[in-house]
Amino acid sequence: MPEPARATASGPGRVLIAVYGVFALSATARAGVQIATRFGEAPVAYLLSALAGVVYILATIGLAGRGPGARRLAWGAVLFELVGVLAVGTLTVLDTGDFPDDTVWSGYGRGYGFIPLVLPLIGLWWLRHTRGR
Amino acid sequence: MIGALVVVVLVALVALAIYGLVITVLNRPADVWTKRAVGVAVALLAVQAVIAAVRVFSGTSLPETSTFLIYLVVSVCVLPIATQFATAEPNRWGGAVVAVGAVATAVAVWRLQGLWVPGA
Repeated sequence: MPEPARATASGPGRVLIAVYGVFALSATARAGVQIATRFGEAPVAYLLSALAGVVYILATIGLAGRGPGARRLAWGAVLFELVGVLAVGTLTVLDTGDFPDDTVWSGYGRGYGFIPLVLPLIGLWWLRHTRGR
Repeated sequence: MIGALVVVVLVALVALAIYGLVITVLNRPADVWTKRAVGVAVALLAVQAVIAAVRVFSGTSLPETSTFLIYLVVSVCVLPIATQFATAEPNRWGGAVVAVGAVATAVAVWRLQGLWVPGA
């Protein structure tokens, strides 16, 4: 008997969405201020901040939505987020020169209590946990 | 920003976060008391935001005014949205959602305090 996929926006998933929502808001607002006020200082880092913000927004929408489309969006965004935090984290640990200003993902999310590193792992687990069999 | 009010606000937010987590552990949905507790916290935040905004717009100069004002708006808006989301599905996880909102708001208030450097 195949089990249908469960909604990602139900039960403990709502706590996950709340955390994603907070990160979507903070990363986007931070990037907005950085780009508006001092873009010339560190364009790469600030564009990366904006990209992270967009990824968090897409993950929030995907997890909060229903149906296979929303689930695919959530998978894509959370996987991108994991690759992003690992890549940017490694780059900033190896060489801080290219990232003069911190982004959400710098140092594996050190400035945010490493939540950016743990969040995609929990997100992937939740997506796997709620999928149909 | 007023030092004493910041302390009161942070204590209220930590208490609210603990209350939310207790609700989740006890397997109870977020109820009218949760909404009242959030209401008290948001009222304190609103008072703080009005005082800070009045001082900024009446001439207090800060090193990062725009960042400060964004955090000020965020500090008031996050909890009402989180509470709406928490009570939309009445189960144990509503309390944890409120706790996430309270912690995020506390971080915003902490940042506000750090950005409040008048005359810099």
